[in-house]
Amino acid sequence: MAKSGDKKRGPIGTALGRVPRWVYLLAALLLAAFFPLLQTSGFMDMLWIRVAIRSLTFVLLALGLNVVMGETGLLNLGYVAFFAIGSYTTALLSSPSLGFHWSFWPLLLLSMALAMVGGLLVGLPTLRLRGDYLAIVTLAFGEIVRTVFLNATTITNGAAGIPAIYPPHIFGWVVDQPVEFYYLILVFVVLVVVALTNVKNSRVGRAWNALREDEIAAVHSGINSTQAKILAMVISAGVAGLAGCLFAYYQQFINPTYFVFTQSVIVVCMVVLGGMGSIPGAALGAIVLDALPDLIRATFSDWLPSVFGPTFMSRWPMWLQSFFTDFEKYRMLLFGIVVVLVVIFRPEGLLPDHLWRAETHEEDPREQERTRQSLFDIEEGTQDLEA
Amino acid sequence: MAPVLELIGVTKAFGGLTAVNDMSLTVEKGEIVSIIGPNGSGKTTVFNLVTGIYEPDSGDILLEGESIAGLRSDQIQMKGVSRTFQMLRLFSGMTVLENILVGMHSRTKTRLFGAMFRMPWVTREEKQAVAKAQEILAFFPGRFSGPRQGQPAASLSYANRRRLELARALACDPKILLLDEPVAGMNPAESLEVMEQIRELRDRGNTILMIEHDMKVVLGASDRLIAMDHGVKIAEGDPQTVANDSLVVEAYLGRRGSSAAS
Repeated sequence: MAKSGDKKRGPIGTALGRVPRWVYLLAALLLAAFFPLLQTSGFMDMLWIRVAIRSLTFVLLALGLNVVMGETGLLNLGYVAFFAIGSYTTALLSSPSLGFHWSFWPLLLLSMALAMVGGLLVGLPTLRLRGDYLAIVTLAFGEIVRTVFLNATTITNGAAGIPAIYPPHIFGWVVDQPVEFYYLILVFVVLVVVALTNVKNSRVGRAWNALREDEIAAVHSGINSTQAKILAMVISAGVAGLAGCLFAYYQQFINPTYFVFTQSVIVVCMVVLGGMGSIPGAALGAIVLDALPDLIRATFSDWLPSVFGPTFMSRWPMWLQSFFTDFEKYRMLLFGIVVVLVVIFRPEGLLPDHLWRAETHEEDPREQERTRQSLFDIEEGTQDLEA
Repeated sequence: MAPVLELIGVTKAFGGLTAVNDMSLTVEKGEIVSIIGPNGSGKTTVFNLVTGIYEPDSGDILLEGESIAGLRSDQIQMKGVSRTFQMLRLFSGMTVLENILVGMHSRTKTRLFGAMFRMPWVTREEKQAVAKAQEILAFFPGRFSGPRQGQPAASLSYANRRRLELARALACDPKILLLDEPVAGMNPAESLEVMEQIRELRDRGNTILMIEHDMKVVLGASDRLIAMDHGVKIAEGDPQTVANDSLVVEAYLGRRGSSAAS
């Protein structure tokens, strides 16, 4: 079996596959921990710290959405609503706009709790729905939440948003520098990854996966589907609430335009890109999709000119030059292209859950070969037994 | 002692079609009872009524004397009714071992917070569950040994998938096991093996109600036979007697002397 598995991967894949998983995790963690040193030692612009903070916020969102979409198989197109609830809770209770100045921990917990209540509210009446119908209802929920924040002007100040959010004080540490925020968010990302990985490999996570694979069989295995789905919805909303709280603190200003429908879609793309149901996949998908536009822009407006001279693009047509140097504008185009390419060439995502891969590749002839091989093994086994 | 499973005058209609009509049956502890009947005679509907997919229009379903009619499927499973499906329903993307562990869902207790922080009792329960899952898989010697337990269920051969479904149903130590065509699609040798295993399960104290078309298996395994046609029980009793009952033969083959066209 192992032999035919290796064949499928090719030599590089095989070599990479032999490295134990903890090596990759440790490498990722070290890279993340030392990343800001590039900036403090002058190798890197502060811009990249800001990009990294934004990416890590999306990592939290992708991890949270992965719980409902990847693990439980419920498509949620209004995920940004929970993010908005967390953000607005923090913004309103830690800014001059209403005159509150709550401290960090209670506010963090309240942001998560209110987002979870939101998850419960949208979950209770809708979880009888499946697939497309659930997607439509959650989409509407996302729009409703945004519209409420937009129009409740006496509280939320409408489209003008909430400015001057106080920086958090954590055990006497005032977090107001980007690098400090980077580490704060990184700590929460690590905590969320650990917690969600533990849940995934437990009875609770298996119940979610079972519901995704076959709801009828899951129910007949004693899983209370409504309870399990609502739990998934609430947990995922809680993670978004956490992300929202940190986002509001970092941004110091929020308004409803941060919580538009496209944000939900982007998070869905991140989960699909990384590999549904895969925790490292969701994190990687978020980082790739969020940082890629900045990388492309920086490549063409800073790095390549510094290597080939500032005029290397001068013979290109204007529209092509501006396409690369203003790449931010074309983010959505990039997302679309990336998702289409992933769906065609790697439907299981960049870092697939080993389980998920087996499911999406059932039609793959190589996979069938593997199955045939295992059938053959079984036949052999039978003969051994009978002999 | 009350029978393990008792149906009392259960009726279920879908619109104008009465799928199960005034059905009564009992299954005693340690017994294998088979339901036979032509396609569409309401056998699977009986299973679906017992396992809570449908609620009976009238009548009652008792598990060890306690009514389970109208409960949700997961509650019924929790009380000890476990089943397999005519069309396989495995968690195909999950591994063999995980499939069994899901089958143990109602017999394990880990909740969200324990799982999130991987409390010592969670690790302990997980270990016990895995050990028990392996014990259950060992009931099928050589089929799910070693590395195969870590493979996705989708990669198994058809017969092994059927075995895995049976293993999953056994994982909760059911009071009664409902098997919906356990040997469908298997070759004769495999069918006989499954038949032997069903008998072995009975000898270990399991109670089994099964639907099966393969008469070799039905006659070889059953202690009692129930024949259905058009939602009605037409015969019940000793397997040989029921199989040769004129009503049963007629239900399968049609009335002697009437033309096929009519």
